[in-house]
Amino acid sequence: MSGIIDGKVAIITGAAKGLGAAIAARFTAEGATVVHADIAPGDGGVACDVTDEAQVQKLVADTVSEHGKLDVLVSSAGIASVNPLVQMSLEEWRRVLSVDLDGVFLCTKHAGAAMAAGGGGSIINIASIKAFGGSPATGHYGAAKAGVVSLSKTAAMELRSFGVRVNAICPGWVDTDMVNDRKAEFESVLGISFDDYIAHVQGRLGEANEIAGLAVFLASERSSFASGSAYVVDGGATASLV
Amino acid sequence: MELEGKRALITGAGRGLGLAIAELFAQRGARVAIADIDAGTAQAAADRLDGAIAITCDVTKPAEVQAMVEQAVAAFGGLDVLVNNAGIEIGKPLPATSDEEFAQLMAINVNGVFFGMKYAIPALAATQGTIINMSSVAGLDGVPLLGAYCASKAAVIRLSQTASRELRDAGIRVNALCPAFIDTKMVDRLVEPFEAATGANFDDLVAQAQGRLGTPEEVAEMAAFLASDDAGWITGSTYVLDNALTASVL
Repeated sequence: MSGIIDGKVAIITGAAKGLGAAIAARFTAEGATVVHADIAPGDGGVACDVTDEAQVQKLVADTVSEHGKLDVLVSSAGIASVNPLVQMSLEEWRRVLSVDLDGVFLCTKHAGAAMAAGGGGSIINIASIKAFGGSPATGHYGAAKAGVVSLSKTAAMELRSFGVRVNAICPGWVDTDMVNDRKAEFESVLGISFDDYIAHVQGRLGEANEIAGLAVFLASERSSFASGSAYVVDGGATASLV
Repeated sequence: MELEGKRALITGAGRGLGLAIAELFAQRGARVAIADIDAGTAQAAADRLDGAIAITCDVTKPAEVQAMVEQAVAAFGGLDVLVNNAGIEIGKPLPATSDEEFAQLMAINVNGVFFGMKYAIPALAATQGTIINMSSVAGLDGVPLLGAYCASKAAVIRLSQTASRELRDAGIRVNALCPAFIDTKMVDRLVEPFEAATGANFDDLVAQAQGRLGTPEEVAEMAAFLASDDAGWITGSTYVLDNALTASVL
């Protein structure tokens, strides 16, 4: 899709690792100017804690003042931990909700306002298939991602007349540190073989770059009628009841 | 070009959404087989597009669907993409819908999709190809005057989901695409019965629910994305294209 987001200015949060890094690399390859935001940024990245409204506001304002506009936001910053709800501390619950839901709210709020003022744009929030059902041992994460889908729909409706499109991408299990670092914990808490589970529900783990193509499409003018939707990319995991 | 080298078979491609999909696929480098029940519109479209062929097919007849797939494979040497797009609408309240009308709609919108998938699967397995089934936001919820159409489009989603799982090991991806109201003759035909039955203004409804009508080209873009290698891990999904129509619970 060479060139279809050429010249667009994009903020990507969580850009130092995982899905955010893969999307950032693809956006750059497609000709976009990418602001790599992360709480622990790599070289050339911008430090931003998405749970801190002042930092998010500054990230958006600095991007607009440096690059003259903001066309695309990809909210990819997210965290997870593994614990059944009955063993989860309120602090752990709040920490995940804070990054995974508050962070998306703050970025959508400030980027949406800047895009509306600038005549339009596209907001892409990374949710998860966990938004659509129970999320054993990651109840906080599932609740946050369900919240991300809901707020994306609300924002799509509120911002439609300003030319701002808002969508969620809902990946299945992807081969990232977030997933791989917690395999053993999942197996111990849920009493399952992680690899068998993945093979059954979705054939294999997804690759981060398999999510990036959808993000490019949603960032481009080719998706000009796509807004308020949650786009699942999961190798068929959620297509079947069993 | 994203679809360079792909060989695509599109039903109902003589006009409307199917034609827009065929045109964009051809523009992006695909060879397209334009199937339609109307031989004239299929040929006219094929004449305008590089490398395209026309196939006459009534998708309610399994023998014709099988022959359609064979014709496309013979012409192109294989098949990478099937778009099951042929469909009709009925714009009437359920009690006013005749038994024959209901059966005909199901025969085209549901049986036609089933036959298309069934007979194209061997060819698509050989290329690890992909199927795009045209559903609708009407497959996600009820809509007054569109009861038969809604039921048929819901069936298309379930067929797609089941096929995606059954065909995953064969490397065939299957997805459903659900557009909202698009600027086509099908939607034009619904305006009068809708306004008569509800007393509401159709343009106002569209403006309120989805901002504006979508364009056939916008639907074709999403079909082209789903047909592309960039969608390689997308299967069993229902891709809505509705400018936030269904984002509202109201």
